[in-house]
Amino acid sequence: MKIRLRINAHTHEVETRPNQTLAQVLREDLGMTGTMMSCGEGECGSCTVLVDGTPVTSCLMLVGQAMGRDIRTIESVGTAAALDVVQQAFVDEQGFQCGACTPGFIMVAKAFLAENPTPTEHEASQAMSGNICRCGAHPYIVRAVLNAAGILAQQKGSEHEQSEL
Amino acid sequence: MMSEFKYHRPENITEAILLKRDLGDAAAYWAGGTDLVLQCKSGKRRIGHCIDLTALQDLSFINAAKGGYRIGTLTPLSELERLNADTPHLRTIRDVAALMCTVQTRTIATLGGNLCNASPSADLFVALAAMGAIAQVTGLGGTREVPVDAFMLAPGKTALTGDEMLTGVFIPAPDVPHASAYRRIARTVVDIALVSAAASLTLDRTGEKINEARITLGAVAPRVIRATGAEEMLTGRPLSDLIGTFAKEVGATAAQSAKPITDIRASAEYRKNMVAVLVARCLISVSTELEAGL
Ligand SMILES: Cc1cc2nc3c(=O)[nH]c(=O)nc-3n(C[C@H](O)[C@H](O)[C@H](O)COP(=O)(O)OP(=O)(O)OC[C@H]3O[C@@H](n4cnc5c(N)ncnc54)[C@H](O)[C@@H]3O)c2cc1C
Repeated sequence: MKIRLRINAHTHEVETRPNQTLAQVLREDLGMTGTMMSCGEGECGSCTVLVDGTPVTSCLMLVGQAMGRDIRTIESVGTAAALDVVQQAFVDEQGFQCGACTPGFIMVAKAFLAENPTPTEHEASQAMSGNICRCGAHPYIVRAVLNAAGILAQQKGSEHEQSEL
Repeated sequence: MMSEFKYHRPENITEAILLKRDLGDAAAYWAGGTDLVLQCKSGKRRIGHCIDLTALQDLSFINAAKGGYRIGTLTPLSELERLNADTPHLRTIRDVAALMCTVQTRTIATLGGNLCNASPSADLFVALAAMGAIAQVTGLGGTREVPVDAFMLAPGKTALTGDEMLTGVFIPAPDVPHASAYRRIARTVVDIALVSAAASLTLDRTGEKINEARITLGAVAPRVIRATGAEEMLTGRPLSDLIGTFAKEVGATAAQSAKPITDIRASAEYRKNMVAVLVARCLISVSTELEAGL
């Protein structure tokens, strides 16, 4: 079947089959391999993308279910030259080792911080609980999320000051 | 890998039901797909046609209704988790939803999928059955209501027939004091319950006597069951009896209703013992809530 997907603000036409998951289409048909596939059963969160702003395990979503929705993948977050605040925080806090789970964590962190800009440590660790880091970087990941929240708040504060001036 | 199937995307309930009538058992209604994808990937289930319910967004709602609440079948767990719960049963539903699945699967997993998948360990199923919730079912023959505690017939088998679709549940909110609680034991947060229990008590107008008690058990029989012996012990008793050892005695009686098996997750004996513990904990939680007059 031929379908249209809206990914990272671009429209893609893909020839695919109904039994394909969004994760498969992103990786295999569109070459967007930033979205990782690990367990393929919704348990590890590596394949998380944002669908209409909410985090979804793309290994459990049929490609048909993604039609007409706003899909955001890790490819839309920052660039190598200018990392996103959340990405930079993961680097600064060493929120990873091998990096295979990182795109999934970053997508969840982005959605979480958009909803809760001033999280407690407990809230941040709850929010990150649907992702598994097999290297065991979880405490650093939670610190990275809190660090990113702090920087985003500062940025907002200085924007506010500037507009006051 | 999932085997090949045809894809259908009905725009309304009638279209969906007509498709199901025409395609029969080879077709499956597809809600969030969090159970279906795993079943299809493992080869446990093969479907010829997927009837994707994604476009039926008017079946995603939480509404106040006469005598209670209605929740649409396609309401995702993430909406239940955010529920601004102002009644006891809705608080329980919110808490149950929050402990299910993971952050990024709760956004797609639906309430109706949890009921229709008909797993004896399904968390919401056990809780809703204790609350006396009613499943709303629609087919070409019309609409009917099935009490949730009679909705599961066997593992994977519901009371739905032919083209019928679950459209939602009604949750009673009687105007006398009532409360409910759910407890489960699971190996990890993403694992399903290896044993679970829920309790719901409705008091008389004075708030002192138990008028109706409903206790349900998960993962201890081929379907979610009620612990009728335990319910009888509670009915007509003063609420204040639940202080002290009585809750434990009721728990022990509930364990006699359990007919568990030994499997990869737990032994039958462990499950039976834990039923007693979980039922007692539910009752203590419910009576504390009722005593506090929340
Ligand atoms: C990582 C992970 C963790 C999980 N954790 C839990 C947990 O903690 N507790 C728990 O109980 N479950 C858990 N599950 C199982 C699953 O997520 C839930 O049962 C969920 O509520 C199913 O909803 P769904 O919309 O995804 O169902 P689907 O997979 O879409 O459907 C399930 C079944 O119901 C049928 N169906 C769906 N909607 C209707 C309808 N309206 N009318 C008729 N038939 C219908 C389908 O045909 C199918 O047979 C977990 C799953 C995963 C992947």
